[in-house]
Amino acid sequence: MASFVPTSADTLEDQRLYTSARLTEVACLDCLARVGVKKNSDHHTSIQWSREARESCPELSRRDGRGRDYHQGCPRLLASIETAVREGQVDIGAEDGY
Amino acid sequence: MSDTRILDRGTPPERFARGWHCLGLAESFGDGKPHRIEAFGGQLVVWQDTQGGLNVLDGYCRHMGGDLTQGTVKGDEIACPFHDWRWGGDGKCKAIPYARRVPLRARTQKYATTIRNGQLLIWHDVEGSEAEPDLLPPELPGVGTDEYTPWTWEVVPITDSHCRELIDNVVDMAHFYYVHFSFPTSFRNVFEGHQATQFMESKGRPDMTGGYGDAELFLKSEATYYGPSYMINWLDVDYKGFQTEVILINCHIPTGPDSFTLQYGITVKKPEGIDDKTAAYISKKYAEMFGGGFLQDVHIWKNKVPVQNPLLCEEDGPVYQLRRWYEQFYVDRADIQPEMVDRFEFEVDTTKANEYWQEEVAENLARKAAEEAEGADGATAGSESDSPSVMTGT
Repeated sequence: MASFVPTSADTLEDQRLYTSARLTEVACLDCLARVGVKKNSDHHTSIQWSREARESCPELSRRDGRGRDYHQGCPRLLASIETAVREGQVDIGAEDGY
Repeated sequence: MSDTRILDRGTPPERFARGWHCLGLAESFGDGKPHRIEAFGGQLVVWQDTQGGLNVLDGYCRHMGGDLTQGTVKGDEIACPFHDWRWGGDGKCKAIPYARRVPLRARTQKYATTIRNGQLLIWHDVEGSEAEPDLLPPELPGVGTDEYTPWTWEVVPITDSHCRELIDNVVDMAHFYYVHFSFPTSFRNVFEGHQATQFMESKGRPDMTGGYGDAELFLKSEATYYGPSYMINWLDVDYKGFQTEVILINCHIPTGPDSFTLQYGITVKKPEGIDDKTAAYISKKYAEMFGGGFLQDVHIWKNKVPVQNPLLCEEDGPVYQLRRWYEQFYVDRADIQPEMVDRFEFEVDTTKANEYWQEEVAENLARKAAEEAEGADGATAGSESDSPSVMTGT
């Protein structure tokens, strides 16, 4: 049973645009993790993990899930994303806000 | 006019979120009296038994619907004011003094309880699942000892708003500037499992807070929701080089389809060389600032409409992803989708916003200076000077 039910079909399309459109797959250079990345600008980054990717990341797996470090990003993945951006594999720029 | 944007208000959920909910400071329930807490479309009764344990049941007697919160604590049980039926913390009717026996089916809705960081938390799940200790918020080391000031605690009933409005603030970078008059310089979100975090660095807006000093206020804030309703906000405050560690708890209990009770508490790590009285004063001041901040939010919520299809610009935070995360608490456990709990990270680009805001603040300061130079005897300054310059998390 859904909870916050949209009353317009267009809302479903908005949900798709904002959550999954324009995601580019980036592979970590140090482990088997592959994540979806979107860059609306140089300073903006959106990273969508999957369960498989998350289980592949030794850096995040090391953290116990209770401490505050749990929320920090994986530095190796961030470096891999930077490399992918530098090499032109990830487009930079938003499309009408998404 | 097919290109006109329509606001989709949607329909609110038909249930209340699954998870741990905080009812207040544990010590506030320890006076041997029944306490009424409005929650989940009804009311709960909370009382302390002779062993010191706190018990939470549905607030209405299963006999004839009497209001247990107006009853009496007798021994370990809560006695109904209507016919003196005695209910135990395990949800069973223990005695009916005027009856030969208690009906076997005399069981009411009980809530699993736990004390965490000096606060009473209960587990709520419309599917009736066992409480999950793994989903509790973490213990805060040192809190509750002499290292920290005692919790301040405030309770604010909110009407005409669904509690998702409060949750949305986790990702709402720009509202901190416009609603709370603080100035975010760095903003990041991480969602994973039952946790949603906001990292923010901000400073006070010198143009809105009157005193020159607030330009020297810097905040590092890390705020995490553990489940649908309980947020811990760790704050490192730097005021004129004076460092303070503050912990803010921001939690709520849904009371109806468009109402909830907001509760928040503050504890401050006692700075070295400062006596308890001064530390308590600092704590009270922060509580007042956050209290004012919440009222600023409430004013917005009361006058806005619900929106299922927010239109975002590229400087906005991940509203849709946050709501996707929040949805996990409103569906049956079997219907939780991977994307609701998969890790998601988002760094907001504050560059453009900061450029524009710097200019706006400078213009406001220049205009104020000009007005003061004209001798506008302080008539315009008063309304802004009591605005809080600290607001985080929500």
